[in-house]
Amino acid sequence: MSEIKLTDEFLIEELKLRFEEKKESLKKLEKLTTELKEVNHKLAESEALKSHFISNITNEIVNPFTSIVILSKNILSIKEGQWERVMKMANLIFTEAFNLDFQLKNIFAAAEIEAGELFLEVSNVTVDTLINAVIDSFITEAKKKRIVFEFIKIETETEELRFKTDSEKLRLILSNLVENAVKYSKNEKIIIKREVQDGVLTISVQDFGIGISENNKKVIFDRFKRLDTGINSINRGHGLGLSINKALLDFLSGQIDIESTKNVGSTFTINIPEAVSDAESFSADGSDYIFDTDDEIF
Amino acid sequence: MEKPKHFLYPGAIYVSHEPSMITTILGSCIAVCLYDSVLQIGGMNHFMLPLWNGQGLASPRYGNIAIDKLIRKLESLGSSKANIKAKVFGGGEIIATNINQFMIGDRNIRIAKDLLHEEGIPIVSSSVGGKLGRKIIFNTQTGEVRQKYVGGQK
Repeated sequence: MSEIKLTDEFLIEELKLRFEEKKESLKKLEKLTTELKEVNHKLAESEALKSHFISNITNEIVNPFTSIVILSKNILSIKEGQWERVMKMANLIFTEAFNLDFQLKNIFAAAEIEAGELFLEVSNVTVDTLINAVIDSFITEAKKKRIVFEFIKIETETEELRFKTDSEKLRLILSNLVENAVKYSKNEKIIIKREVQDGVLTISVQDFGIGISENNKKVIFDRFKRLDTGINSINRGHGLGLSINKALLDFLSGQIDIESTKNVGSTFTINIPEAVSDAESFSADGSDYIFDTDDEIF
Repeated sequence: MEKPKHFLYPGAIYVSHEPSMITTILGSCIAVCLYDSVLQIGGMNHFMLPLWNGQGLASPRYGNIAIDKLIRKLESLGSSKANIKAKVFGGGEIIATNINQFMIGDRNIRIAKDLLHEEGIPIVSSSVGGKLGRKIIFNTQTGEVRQKYVGGQK
C-alpha cells in the first residue's frame, strides 16, 4: 500500500518538475522567436534596400560623374583671363571626384570583405605620417565648413612612432572616421588623438556635431543605414563606412567604441593590438608540417 | 613539386585552380575543406560564428555565408556539386570567457554539418570539438588534410 502512495507523491513531484521544465523551454522559445522576428525584419529591410540599389547607384555615382564631365567641358570652353571661374569649377570637380573616389574605395573594400578575400599585409607603419596624410586629404572639405583639425599625440616620444599593422586598412578606417566627423560637424574643430600603450594603438576622432542618439548607436554599424531619415543611401550615411570599419577592425582584432551625445558631438575610438602575423608561426617553407610523423592525416 | 602556400585568415575564403597548400589555425572556429576529386581542385573557408544576424557586412566570418560562398566559388571554377566532398575541422571549446560565446564551438560544428547536409555534400572525414586548437594544412590537389593539435588559440 505505502509503496503505491510513495509512487503517487513521486509522480506528482515529477509532474511538477516537468511543468517547470516546460515553462523554462517555453521561455527560451519565446526569446528565440523574438530574435527570429528581429532577423526577419532585418531581412525584409535588406530586400527593400536591394531594390533601391540601382537608384542609389544612379544618385551616388552617375550624378557626380555627370557634374564632373559638364564642369570640365565648361573649363575647356572658358576664355583667357578668367582664372577665378576656372578655379571655382576645378574646386567643384575636385570635391565631386574626391567623394566619388572615397565611396568607390569603400564599396570595393566591402565587396572584398563580403567575398572573404581579405588578407593581412603587415608593415611597420609610421602612425603620425599616416594620420597626417588622412587629415590632409580632407582639408579641402573641412575648410569649406571652417573646420580645423587638432592632432594630439599623447606621450610623444622623441623617435617617430612605428606600429606593426596593415597600413592600408588603418588608412581606410581612419578616413571613414574623419569623413564622418567632417560631415556631421558644425563649423568647429575636430580633435584627433593617438596613443600607444602596451602594444595597443588607440586613435580617437572627436567632433562637435549633431551627435547620435542612444537608439541609433545600435544600428550605426549596419550597412547602408542612414540615421534619422527615410532614405537609405550608400553615400550620405554613417552606414557603409562604419560597417566596413567594424569588419576591418574585427579582422585586425581591434575594437571601435562610440561616445556620443545628441547635439553635442561624437567621439569614435578605435583600439588595435600590434599585429603578430599568424603566418609567421608557420615555418617559412612549411616543410616541418608536411613531413612531420605526428601529423594526423584526413 | 613545391606548391604555393596560402595562409587563411579568419573570415576569409581561398579557392584556386592552382594546386596549393592552404594552412590555418583553428580554435572554436571551423574550417570547411571542399575537394573536387574530378577536377582535383579545392578550397577552404574559416568562419568564427554560426549565423549572420543581419548586422554589419555579410562576410564569411559567419558559417552560413562562408559555406555558401565556398561552394559557389568552387562551382564557378567548374566543379559540379556531385563531385564535391567535405572535410570539417575545428569547433573546439578553448575558453568560455564570454557568456555569448558559450558553446560557440558546438554551434559552429552543428551549422557546418547541417548546411553541408542541406547542400548534399558528404562529410568524408572530420576532426571537431575537444579542448584543443588545431593547425591544419590542406593539399588542394590531393584533398589530403594534415592536422596537428596546438594549445588553445583563437
